[in-house]
Amino acid sequence: MQKIPLKKAAPGMILARDVYRNDSPAGMPACGSGIVLTDVLISRFEQINVQALYVEGYPLKEPGAATYEEVAAILDRRFEKVLSDPLGAKLNQIYKEYFKRAMGEESGDEAK
Amino acid sequence: METKRSELKNIIMNTRTLPTLPGIIRKLTQLSENDKSSVQEMARLVSSDQVLSARILRLVNSPSYGFYRVSTISNAMILLGVNVVKSLAMSSSILGIMEKNNIGLWEHSLAVGVASNLISKKLGLPESEEIATAGLLHDIGKVIITLNCPEEEARVRKIADERHIYTIDAEREILGVDHAEVGGWLGKSWFLPEKLVEPISFHHDVELSRDHRIKTAVVHVAEVLSKASGFGDSGDPFVPSLQSAAWDMLKLTDQHLAELVCELEDKLVEMKNFSLETYESA
Repeated sequence: MQKIPLKKAAPGMILARDVYRNDSPAGMPACGSGIVLTDVLISRFEQINVQALYVEGYPLKEPGAATYEEVAAILDRRFEKVLSDPLGAKLNQIYKEYFKRAMGEESGDEAK
Repeated sequence: METKRSELKNIIMNTRTLPTLPGIIRKLTQLSENDKSSVQEMARLVSSDQVLSARILRLVNSPSYGFYRVSTISNAMILLGVNVVKSLAMSSSILGIMEKNNIGLWEHSLAVGVASNLISKKLGLPESEEIATAGLLHDIGKVIITLNCPEEEARVRKIADERHIYTIDAEREILGVDHAEVGGWLGKSWFLPEKLVEPISFHHDVELSRDHRIKTAVVHVAEVLSKASGFGDSGDPFVPSLQSAAWDMLKLTDQHLAELVCELEDKLVEMKNFSLETYESA
């Protein structure tokens, strides 16, 4: 599952979580999970001011990084000046774990 | 080198070509410092600015506050508090200056503002609204450098890129001063409160901060997190070191940091949509 900006949503993606109006999770969902996105649906979401969606899989990659390993390499390049520093290395590790979890959830997420 | 520095300082302190802080904010600050003034007076002032009024009503009616529909500025000011309104006025006008000049920097500033807010909420710090404003404004010095010294700024970018060094080191080398200090000068010349000026001036070296160390430390950590996320473009791609002084001052833990990374990434997705909507509405 991945949270993506609505602007990057495309027909064919599958909603992994219910979509709520105006990000208010207390109200009624505007659209249920499991629905396949269409152009009409996306423009409806735009009209009711939805900013982001949760979709199945991990469709939006970092530019030039299709796999977790490539994301990790980008992170290491970004962190190259602080990897020898304990706090820098710690943050790098946390970020890697974050992406490993986010990108690796593709198969084990159906339970939700 | 020293001459360049004082030259730049002169430009910033004296010139009239500099973006000025809109009069409404100066008046609002005066009113809020005067304990004889009433909310009604301030509301009348705010109402004279339609854009600001619209922003305030939008904020106070947003679901995150959960108030029942608010339609007047004076009610909004009572509910939100004068400080929140002041921060909103200040950040919306200053971000306007930034937005026109450099979208990457604008995105980076928004990210640091959001991260500052998340950190102060997580740690239960007072004045989180002010801390978020300080985060938004932390790189204002870069805007001033771009506006006043475009040639030097191009050289800064060039040597930072060629020699693989931090922008701030390149600035010190070329200009004899860095964007944090320049931002501090600007803040002083605008008579911004010290609690905003210190985080702007010392977000790269929190130990220099004296009276507002916690706020400065938050903005520093927020900047490191935002650079780590790769959101926006502040001039160079390198994550700066997370200063242990800031870590200790805020009494951060590994747990905090891991939670903050998740929360920030989550917020940034929505922000990305906002900036995509703003700039790619083709």
